[in-house]
Order: sequence, then C-alpha cells, then structure tokens
Amino acid sequence: MKNNTSDIINELKTVSPFLAGIEKVNVFKVPKDYFIDLDTKILTSVFLQQVEKNESQQVPTGYFDSLSDRILSKIKNETPLTAIDEIKQISPALHYLKEEQVFTVPENYFDNLSDRILDKIHLKKAKVISLNPVKKVWKYAAAAVIAGIVTISSLQIFNQKTGKEKIAASYIQVARQYKTPQKLDEGIASLSADEIAKYLEKTGTVLDEDALVKDTDTTNLPSTSDYLTDENALDNFLNSINSKSTNTQ
Amino acid sequence: MTQIQNDQELLELFKDPSTKEHAFTAIIKKYQEKLYWHIRRMVINHEDADDVLQNMFIKVWKGLENFREDSQLYTWLYRIATNESLTFLAQQKKRSSVSLSDDENGLTNKLKSDTNFDANKLEWKLQMGIQSLPEKQRIVFNLRYYDEMPYEEMSKVLETSEGALKASYHHAAKKIENFILNN
Repeated sequence: MKNNTSDIINELKTVSPFLAGIEKVNVFKVPKDYFIDLDTKILTSVFLQQVEKNESQQVPTGYFDSLSDRILSKIKNETPLTAIDEIKQISPALHYLKEEQVFTVPENYFDNLSDRILDKIHLKKAKVISLNPVKKVWKYAAAAVIAGIVTISSLQIFNQKTGKEKIAASYIQVARQYKTPQKLDEGIASLSADEIAKYLEKTGTVLDEDALVKDTDTTNLPSTSDYLTDENALDNFLNSINSKSTNTQ
Repeated sequence: MTQIQNDQELLELFKDPSTKEHAFTAIIKKYQEKLYWHIRRMVINHEDADDVLQNMFIKVWKGLENFREDSQLYTWLYRIATNESLTFLAQQKKRSSVSLSDDENGLTNKLKSDTNFDANKLEWKLQMGIQSLPEKQRIVFNLRYYDEMPYEEMSKVLETSEGALKASYHHAAKKIENFILNN
C-alpha cells in the first residue's frame, strides 16, 4: 500500500508540484458513529420494502365475496344530490341566476284556465253529436269526405240531378267505385273544372245534410264493428235500400 | 269543498261520470303552473305556450281513462307536455319558409322580440345560452334547473337512463356558463 501511495504522490509531483505540496485534509464531516450500524440499517430497509410489497398484493379473506353487497348498500344509503346542490357544484354562477325570472304571464291567466279548457272539450263533444246513432249514415259520409270520395260522388250525383229520396244511397253507391287510391285519382281526374265550379255555386256544402239525414232509414244500418269486420255489410245495406226504392217507385 | 290533492283519488273520481269534470278541473289546477312553465320555456312566447297547454290537457282528457296507473300521473303529464311542445316546435319549423339550423331555431329570435329583452342582462344571456343547446339537452337542463326534477323521475319522462341525463345536464350547464362568459 505504502509503495502505491508514494507512487501516486510521485506521479502528482511530476504532474503538478503545486498540488502535491498541499496537505491532504478531508473537509466533509460525517455524523458520529455513522458507519457503526450502517449495514444493519441497510438490511432493515431492504426487508421492510419487501414486506410492504407483499402486503399490498394481498386482499383480506372474503373481501370480494361481500364487495357487491357493500357497494349496493352504500349506493342505497347515499342521499341523491338535490338539484340546488348539484348546480352549486357545477356552476355557482348559474345557481345565482336561477331566481331571475324573465318571462311574464298575463294577469289572472291561471284563474280560469280549467274553465277555458273544459269549454273547448265541450265544444269538441258538441261537434261529435252529428255522428250519433240516429244519424249513422254520417259515419259513411264522413269517411268518404276524408278520402275525398264524396266530392266526386256529389259532383256526379249533382250532375245527374238525382232525386232527394235516393240521394243517400247514391252517395254511398258512387263512393263504392273508389276503393283504391288509384281509382280515386282517376275519378278526380275525370272531373272538369266547370263541373266543380257549377257544383260549388249550387251548394255551399259538400253534402246535402238534410237529405242525408231525413230521407235515409238508419234503423237497419250495419254497426261500426259489422262494417269493419265484414266487407259485405255495406253491400247488403245498399241492396236493401235499392230494393226498397224499387218497391216504392 | 275540500281540495283534493291525491292523484290516486283524482283518477278514481275521473272514472265516475258524475265527478269526472270536477276531478279534471282539480288535475288542471294542481299541475297547470308547473306544466305551463315547462312548455313556456320550450316554446318561449305566451300565446304558443297557452295553445300547447290547452291542447295537451284536451289530449289528457281523452287519454286519462286509459292511463296505466303503474306510472305516476305527474310524469305522464310532463311526458305529454314535452311531446306536445316538441311537436309544436317541429311543425313551426316545417312551416317556416326560412331554413333554420338547430341552434338558430327561431326561438332565439322569439326571445329577442320579448318586450323586456335586454341583451346586456345576465338573466337574458342565460336564456340565450339555454336556446343555444341542442333540443334534448335543453329539455334536460330546464327540467333539472327550473323544475328541480329528480333524475329518477326525469328518466321516466324522457325515457333515458339516469346516467345519461346526469351527463347531459352537466354538459348543458357548462355550455351555458361558457356562453354567458363569452357573450
């Protein structure tokens, strides 16, 4: 060792005689007895780290068996956030603005609202009276109006100058021609503008209501369900009207 | 006459022809203001809100006999009010000759035409922010912010999961906040 040390000193003397001339002094201090139990400290530290690692990978016995129950019970016991608390969390500014009302309502608007609604309901009901059982024929007429059939039927009947006593049967009979949308389109196309204008000038309404109601015997009309379920129901009724008309002539 | 508040009792009375109108009047009086404001916030002006509200109650009159009592009257009424309002807005949009984008649905213009409108006031900016939302998000926001409806109820009204509603409300509130800050 000594030889080595003197070799190193000699080497330094050749490199830097100045540095070789300065006394070697350790300027750094170490805590007292630091090195005495350093080995024990290091070993303890390594051991503890190992234990922590092992423990973190372990789960208490039965932990997963009851996990879902514990989560569900937590959810059930959790009080839902009120809307006010929620908006305070999301945006305090919006919470602050909430009470500012910008829309106005006419004075006493709510006082008689229910009466106005009931009046409307009564009005609608009143309109439905024309479809009551006494005037059953209206069901067919109304259905035909919706389909646009009666318009054509009326024009054709009007132009034929059919008598009032047969008008209801005629409406229905003519309407029977237009069973498909295609037939209906063809029917509409067959009418001239003059025919339509003449008809509208003569009558203010599409149907001759009085004639329909007064001159039609409604007692034997098929019921709605008969009509919907049996396609011959209407034919049978029409035949009976025709035979009556023939007998009275 | 004592005021009846219980929906179950009202529905029972509605089934009896002799008390039908009385029950219906009580239902209107009980819910008219809540439903009016729900509709008003969607269609904006009073005249439109009045039309939609009256029409929805006429539909309620027709449909109440078939109302399934396993759901709540309250949520059912809100559902009808929402659907009627949306139908009204859709029809209005269809009728409009001007092509309107989703965020410029004409409602913003309605707001601006309100006699009290003041673009500098925060409360009007809030309304403009609400109108800038997509339709469904706007409904969610209104129901939660103004009606303070629990998500459980809202999910029955809008037939959407509670989680989706919460997320939608959160997004809506943030969008409105940004709108107010940037306008």
